[in-house]
Amino acid sequence: MSKILGIDLGTTNSAMAIMEASGPRVLENAEGNRTTPSIAAVNKSGERSVGLLAKRQAVTNPKNTIFSVKRLIGRKFSDAEVQNDKKWLSYDIREAANGGVEVKLGDKWLKPEEISAMVLAKLKADAEALLGEKIEEAVITVPAYFDDSQRQATKNAGEIAGLKVKRILNEPTAAALAYGLNKKKNEQIVVYDFGGGTFDVSVLEVGDDTVEVKATGGDTHLGGDDFDKKIIEYLVSEYKKSEGIDISKDSLAVQRLKEAAEKAKHELSAALETEINLPYISSNESGPKHFLMKMTRAKLEELVQPFIDHSVELTLQTIKEAKFDVKDVDEVVLVGGQTRMPAMQEAVKKMFGKEPHKGVNPDEVVAVGAAVQAGIMQGDVKDILLLDVIPLSLGLETLGGIFTKLIEKNTTIPTAKTQVFSTAADNQTSVEIHVLQGEREMSADNKTLAKFILDGIPPSPRGMPQVEVTFDIDVNGILNVSAKDKATSKSQSVRIEASTGLSKEEIERLKNEAAAHQDEDKKKRGLVELKNTAESTVYLAEKSLREAGDKVPADIKDAVNKKIEALKSVKDSGDAEAIKKALQDLSQELQKIGEHLYKGQAKPEEGQKPEDKV
Amino acid sequence: MEEQQKQPNTTELDELKKQCEEYLNGWRRAKADLINYQKDEAKRFEEMMNYSREVVIGDLVPVLDSMELALRVETNNDGLQRIKIQLEDMLKKYGLEKIKVSPGDPFDASIHESVGEMEVKELESGKIAAEISSGYKLKNKVIRPARVKLSK
Repeated sequence: MSKILGIDLGTTNSAMAIMEASGPRVLENAEGNRTTPSIAAVNKSGERSVGLLAKRQAVTNPKNTIFSVKRLIGRKFSDAEVQNDKKWLSYDIREAANGGVEVKLGDKWLKPEEISAMVLAKLKADAEALLGEKIEEAVITVPAYFDDSQRQATKNAGEIAGLKVKRILNEPTAAALAYGLNKKKNEQIVVYDFGGGTFDVSVLEVGDDTVEVKATGGDTHLGGDDFDKKIIEYLVSEYKKSEGIDISKDSLAVQRLKEAAEKAKHELSAALETEINLPYISSNESGPKHFLMKMTRAKLEELVQPFIDHSVELTLQTIKEAKFDVKDVDEVVLVGGQTRMPAMQEAVKKMFGKEPHKGVNPDEVVAVGAAVQAGIMQGDVKDILLLDVIPLSLGLETLGGIFTKLIEKNTTIPTAKTQVFSTAADNQTSVEIHVLQGEREMSADNKTLAKFILDGIPPSPRGMPQVEVTFDIDVNGILNVSAKDKATSKSQSVRIEASTGLSKEEIERLKNEAAAHQDEDKKKRGLVELKNTAESTVYLAEKSLREAGDKVPADIKDAVNKKIEALKSVKDSGDAEAIKKALQDLSQELQKIGEHLYKGQAKPEEGQKPEDKV
Repeated sequence: MEEQQKQPNTTELDELKKQCEEYLNGWRRAKADLINYQKDEAKRFEEMMNYSREVVIGDLVPVLDSMELALRVETNNDGLQRIKIQLEDMLKKYGLEKIKVSPGDPFDASIHESVGEMEVKELESGKIAAEISSGYKLKNKVIRPARVKLSK
């Protein structure tokens, strides 16, 4: 079955995405971009261009470059909106026989849906080229305030482009879908969509499998472009003040300034200050002039604060119209590139007293949501292999009561993991395998799932035996833990049925607990690890002394012994700094044995890294 | 005790066959998904490399612009001229190519962007009259079109 294309047909830019087995994927157009200008044009020789190519010739072909047609689609010519837009649109529009709008492209009068169809047809063709398969169906998004006529016209545009429109989806609903908010029950959602040219705010209510639009509001002529204009105005006036030169008349200078303003705006989302540096921007009698100006985030915020304040007002007004209170709002979703601006996020956060959703690229979130809807409709993500994940980490206890994780939480099952452990003492003939579940650093704070003993390990020095422990968790969440002594092949195992049998609340509680104790747990674990290192170093030192015998002078031996005693006396003290110091002293002293023994030969081995001991 | 031999009825057998088929397909799909994912990942890595190169080189284009502007004013600055050539050569090595534009060329939106018009008597209307700033291609992808003025 062919894929259903999710399309965000925007006023200035459009985007498209499809649903794949791994999730939604935004598709690049033929030019390699993830957004396509919603523009169509015809040049003097009658050739048609769409998207970026149409945009590139717009300046010299204003009469025959159709943009912002979304402002006209499905409207009556007599609409106040249309009459208003007519004043600034560079192309000709007139009343159609049925009272609708017609736009002039080349020598033809076309309906707005025919222009939208050109954009949709390009998206369709580009998607087909990229995917190597035919696209016949689509989900297209429209603003929530679109009436039946506007929706029908958008649907017609799809049909003209050769797409069967499976659904006309509200943009805010698409944004909510992209964040999976449709699965919520009885929640109020506000979608704050600050695009390039329009600001839309919608209040949604999610019920049982339905998303209802409770109210819409906004300003159809407020967007990120206003921010850019404001910055350019500011730069031009500052330059005039300092240099006495008006660069607003020089098209190349304005072009460079425009790019620099956009760049500065983007940079100030991450940095607190940026420098706008445009050498040779103009010249006067005294020679070439450069443009060099520092701009701070605070200055940018000051410039655009009225826009942000206005959007907040409109949002509050819309919530009121929906007959809700701000505190009733459960989720807030940010849409549109301008919402990357920290001051805007802050304003929204302040208004609602909660963190808005913003993980999905705000330029693409509507297209992603359309793809999610398409995925639901095509239902071809027929995953009979619905794979689960383990909710909490699984592992075992190692020396000093440390919890060593073998399988991390959120690992997709079935899965298996093997790790080799060793003994903690000389001639240790058995090891206890203590299987635990949880996120805390110390075993005692986690949940015991099972304990068993592997014995019959041949007596040998600590750290020598190799005990291979395997955690194997099957598709039903049943955990098999086995331990095998590699020398004797003797093994022991246990089967744990209820490794995932925790309630959701319990899992949440355990995770929260782990997060709350993170720092102190880390400290505790660090101390135990330090103690383990101390013990193994003492062991190593004593062994070295024994093996060296008479080959090492008594004074070195005495010095080492002294340091061993010093380390022994502090290792259980719980004083990390003291242990570290004593450990370092002993290591340095130990090196002298090596130096003495191997003088002139190869360097002694570094202090052996202690292995995990069971 | 004799075990009773239970004859599986046909519906049950069909059911099992169907299930077996479904599971096998699921397994195949999962395996195919993994293999495809690995392939995609390799491709994505390559794309990432190209993309990051594109970003860095794209950011250097305004520097080339400034140098061009500087040389328009300081026509005799030999040192700057050499630095510009040095930078261009370096970027050429990474695949950056300047889009060649001459007055009288036909306008092509795939490599040009029109920024205005001017009166040129000897040129047909709509032809390129002057280049305002250079355009660049990186391995056949236009990273910035040449900005041009067209004849009226």
